[in-house]
Amino acid sequence: MNKQRVPQLLGVLIVAFFVAFPFVYSAGNYDYIMHICIIGFFYAILASSWSMLAGYAGQFSFGHMAFMGLGAYTTALLCHYFFISPEPTGICTEFAIGGQYLIIKNAVGVTSTTLTQDCLAQAMEKWNGTVAVTRMPVWLGVILGTLVGGIFGLLIGLLVLRLRAAYLALFTLGFSEILRATISAEIQITRGQAGLELPSLFENGITIAGHFFSKTDKIPPYFVMLFLLLGCLAVLYWLSQSRFGLFVRALREDQDAAAALGVNTTRYKVMVFVVTSSMAALAGTVYAHYVTIITPNNLMILQMSLVVAMAVIAGVENFIAAAIGAILIEFILEMLRTSFSIGGVTIDMTLWRLVFFGVVLMLTLRFARNGLLAPLIDYFMRGHVAAETVVRREDDAPGGDDPEASADRQGVQA
Amino acid sequence: MIELAVSRLNKRFGGNHVLKDVSFEVNGAEMIGLIGPNGAGKTTLTNVLDGAVKPNSGTVYLNGTRIDQLPSFEVAKVGLGRTFQITRSFRRMTVLENLYVPALALGKSHKGDAVKEQAMEVLEFLTMAHLRNEYARALSGGQQKLLELGRLLMLDPDIIILDEPFAGVHPKLMEVIYEYIRRVNERGKAMIIISHQMDSIFALCKRLLVLDYGDLIADDTPENVKNDPVVIEAYLGTTEDRTGTGERDDEMRPSRA
Repeated sequence: MNKQRVPQLLGVLIVAFFVAFPFVYSAGNYDYIMHICIIGFFYAILASSWSMLAGYAGQFSFGHMAFMGLGAYTTALLCHYFFISPEPTGICTEFAIGGQYLIIKNAVGVTSTTLTQDCLAQAMEKWNGTVAVTRMPVWLGVILGTLVGGIFGLLIGLLVLRLRAAYLALFTLGFSEILRATISAEIQITRGQAGLELPSLFENGITIAGHFFSKTDKIPPYFVMLFLLLGCLAVLYWLSQSRFGLFVRALREDQDAAAALGVNTTRYKVMVFVVTSSMAALAGTVYAHYVTIITPNNLMILQMSLVVAMAVIAGVENFIAAAIGAILIEFILEMLRTSFSIGGVTIDMTLWRLVFFGVVLMLTLRFARNGLLAPLIDYFMRGHVAAETVVRREDDAPGGDDPEASADRQGVQA
Repeated sequence: MIELAVSRLNKRFGGNHVLKDVSFEVNGAEMIGLIGPNGAGKTTLTNVLDGAVKPNSGTVYLNGTRIDQLPSFEVAKVGLGRTFQITRSFRRMTVLENLYVPALALGKSHKGDAVKEQAMEVLEFLTMAHLRNEYARALSGGQQKLLELGRLLMLDPDIIILDEPFAGVHPKLMEVIYEYIRRVNERGKAMIIISHQMDSIFALCKRLLVLDYGDLIADDTPENVKNDPVVIEAYLGTTEDRTGTGERDDEMRPSRA
């Protein structure tokens, strides 16, 4: 078999494995393992899209989790404050839209609802169950969250046009921290550290192929996140194979040289921010509806470091490696939670697992700067290159014009 | 016919007046040498021509299009290409990918074999076809210079500025670069070659521009430039008093080639 086909075949097997997994796995910790898979897919979207931003385009941004948070908070705020009602409340901000009313609930912060009710709660108490008020649909939150992430990606992309390397990293780190601090501080609207609760992805359950899944079932969110990951990887693959991929890599290598060769570096730098921040925001919206609560802690620098570490350990210049690495590392980190004893001394792995993770990161940076998985993929995909170069060098050598000898060498290569 | 008209170009970096009213024209497929001591303003002139640096005043027209306020990528599309003094290949991209960048930037389709065939022709010409799938970082310094020249062939500009194309190149590769310059010029491209290697410049060029402290002090044939006392003074240095203090000003100069 052609060596170049090995990664493709492995890719198909991995996808087949994850599609079949929920139906063949049946151990007692089923929900726990499914949860790790879903979170693994979530981190895989973040790591692979960050790989496109940092590994392909060379834009070492620390703002990726902020874009994720923007998406998550957009859908959370939409679901928390916006409602559709057939009747006007008379006390909320509301707009008539085609026989229905768009109700915008007033912000009451984290005050107990038994003491201070928001306007909608007051109206519903008055209606006493006679009026059915509905939340905004989840899909609308997902779309809006993705759009908001993309718009902020555009703004940040424009702002960092002249920034490179450490300056870009510091700028995006600043943006991320400002966003987190703002969300924490705006308790009245965002409920600060208490977080915003969201409806589940399938709040009323879903029936697939005649089988009803309740909102706590893991299979629907598992496949939503898996197909979201596969969709993002497909888009990233398409981009990487297009002129976009070629130009952003040229941008990474030398912005001035790329411009001198006709590449509109401004456009592609902004585009890569828009695309990757949209993906992060999309992942954030779905994640928020899966865990059903979003807090400022989700935007912490530690979370961003985790995404960076996942991509770097696996191979930041290959988004497939980054995605696989993210899933593997998520599993390893969970497996490492099990504490053990050595000579009567108990090692609390809930603490030490992060030390282990840090050591792996340091060793990778020191001894395998291209990551641990990307070189493996390169081995299969680029194995022929060295031989190709050597064959020509032999041809150039004295006697290299001998057609028979040359043909023999070609035969060996084939 | 190719027409580059540079008129009264000025560029200052703070108090440093790097280009002073520089004016010249290029008409047709000329082969022009641009020489001058270090710090004369040669690279700044190149940067201004290619749009990387905006001039403080003056105009540049290429084939009737004003290019002095355009960004680099648009200048490249109008028809001016350049190489860099220090080679700037895309090191973590393959040789072929390096060549695809300018071709696709021009709007050529990456589907089909047309661009690949063009790139392979360029690589055959540069004797680098066997290296097509190697990363540029695996190439020697000379090969990376050839790769830069190859990218220009893919861009196919009307005017090519080569910044120190012979610096640090093995004699065998230098022959390839000589051949490249001659052949590209024969294809009707104008070339401006910046070099400190006078033998190469005199062998290739029929016209020389000499910059000194931002002034264009000569624009003539190599023979006339060689015998121009102003150029001799600027390039080789004399004991003439330029400072008005009665002392030599050699210490004020940047180092000579």
